[in-house]
Amino acid sequence: MRSRFIVQVVALTLIASFSLTGCSWWHKHFGPKPAPNQSSNGTQPGQLGDKSLTPGTEITSDRPEMNGTQDRTQFAAQTVYFDYDSAKIKPSEHSKVDAIAAALKGNNKKLVIEGHTDERGTAEYNRALGEKRAQAAREALISLGVAADRLSTASFGKDRPVEPLHSETAWSKNRRAEFVVVGQ
Amino acid sequence: MKNWFWLAVSLLAAGAQAQVSISKNFVKKSIVVTSFTGAANVSDALKNDLRLSGSFDIKAAGESAEYSVQGSADGAGVKCFVTQLATKASVLARAYQATGNPRTTAHTIADDIVQAVTGQRGIAQTKIAFIYSPKRGVKELAVMDYDGYNVRVLTHDGKLSGHPRWSPDGRKIAYTSYWKDFPDVLEADLTTNQRRVVARFPGVNSGADYSPDGQTIALTLSKDGNPELYTMNASGGGLRRLTNTKGAESSPTWAPDGQTIAYVSDDRGSPQIYSVSRFGGEPTRLTVSPSYNTEPAWSHPPAGSEMKPMLALTSRVGGGFQVGVYDSGTQAVTPKTADGDCTDPTWAPDGHHLIFAKLRGYRSRLYLLDVRTNEQLELPALEGESSEPAWGPWH
Repeated sequence: MRSRFIVQVVALTLIASFSLTGCSWWHKHFGPKPAPNQSSNGTQPGQLGDKSLTPGTEITSDRPEMNGTQDRTQFAAQTVYFDYDSAKIKPSEHSKVDAIAAALKGNNKKLVIEGHTDERGTAEYNRALGEKRAQAAREALISLGVAADRLSTASFGKDRPVEPLHSETAWSKNRRAEFVVVGQ
Repeated sequence: MKNWFWLAVSLLAAGAQAQVSISKNFVKKSIVVTSFTGAANVSDALKNDLRLSGSFDIKAAGESAEYSVQGSADGAGVKCFVTQLATKASVLARAYQATGNPRTTAHTIADDIVQAVTGQRGIAQTKIAFIYSPKRGVKELAVMDYDGYNVRVLTHDGKLSGHPRWSPDGRKIAYTSYWKDFPDVLEADLTTNQRRVVARFPGVNSGADYSPDGQTIALTLSKDGNPELYTMNASGGGLRRLTNTKGAESSPTWAPDGQTIAYVSDDRGSPQIYSVSRFGGEPTRLTVSPSYNTEPAWSHPPAGSEMKPMLALTSRVGGGFQVGVYDSGTQAVTPKTADGDCTDPTWAPDGHHLIFAKLRGYRSRLYLLDVRTNEQLELPALEGESSEPAWGPWH
């Protein structure tokens, strides 16, 4: 009787773990082991051969270099959030844009406006949607008097979430435009 | 109440049927592969190739089959013999020189068997470019054999990458790189191991796709406003704008005749597929439903085949995403997948195989699908995640 009880508890725990954490937990502990990550000639599945490309030649661009100073904290509280599938700046977000425009008066700070989407949907279209969001924020700032040449955009599509979870809450936090002060 | 129940049942049945639609004209050939004497590693890889070809029903040793494959190794290489058992006719009898790589030998044999038995050119010697993510926040460019073996990660930038596409001669891959923390289009030359910048304008540079003659690249740029479609010379310069809308355009794919480009536009709200002349002008809307269609990919049927070009794409279905094929006659999209989130289909040069990415348990892996049977085969899993596959050309 006791062993049956234990079996039931174990079974229930396994089922609960599986349903709570999903297949990844299961495959990690019970599924086929992925091959270790090692440099090789890459002839086995899962082994990664190493054949690097050279970095590439520069061409001039009037885009800011991001390896200079980057300040993500100054306008962290003004991150603008968007509705699903939308690049419209909602009325609730207007005060944030106003605050940024005000903070940019009387100095020469430059911004990179980063556009992001949540994880749903395809990578390439999300890159375009992220750019629409960044540009919507940029246009809003320009209409408030910020000079256009102080504002660059960079879309990261769905590839740089702030919230890694898979819920409506996480998704709403990832649909955003962030304002990064650069090159000071 | 009862009517709703039977309606639901019949809808379920219809849905289930649509997902399992098998072409009535296509029949697999049964084949048995005996382990090659002295070269079991070749016959193992060969059996896998024949399985992935989708054209064969692989029988176990001792079972009856239409065709039998036997072989042996000697100092010079591998000999392979394929016999049609009913007639005892020899379908293939060939000696293959040793290459030092049993999988390479197997792929060559597999293509010969597919050609001899089905009359079609096989895909066993083709390559896949894809995006490999070893850990969160890092995405690198990688290539592998079509069967998932021989993976080589080509970049080690430690940053994001996306959307690889092959040049038609198979020597170069254009892709999106965040090497300078902005989305730029780079071109990797696989023969020299060099990369060069294709487009590095303000805003987004992405979605590069080579024309069938390799001379022109279509791509997405937002340097003049919101993301629009452009073409440029593959060798540089010659920028031409194709679209001009209030919405975002993205994801161009060249039709095999090189005259039109299908792409995504969300100008009317949600993203749908449109087609435009390579010179720009009035676009034609292709898809109308479901409410989200992206990442179109034109197939390139082999020269001389009777296959029509097909347009594969990603649709949002019931909150998830599935790979589908568009029918220009009915304007309908037929789903080819039904479980997990399946996206980013890419066509093999044989015109009837697709590789796509499937997200299950929040891990993205690549799968092979034969549109003649809708059979899916998972490619060997890697540590990390694989996405955005691009099937390389025959060459």
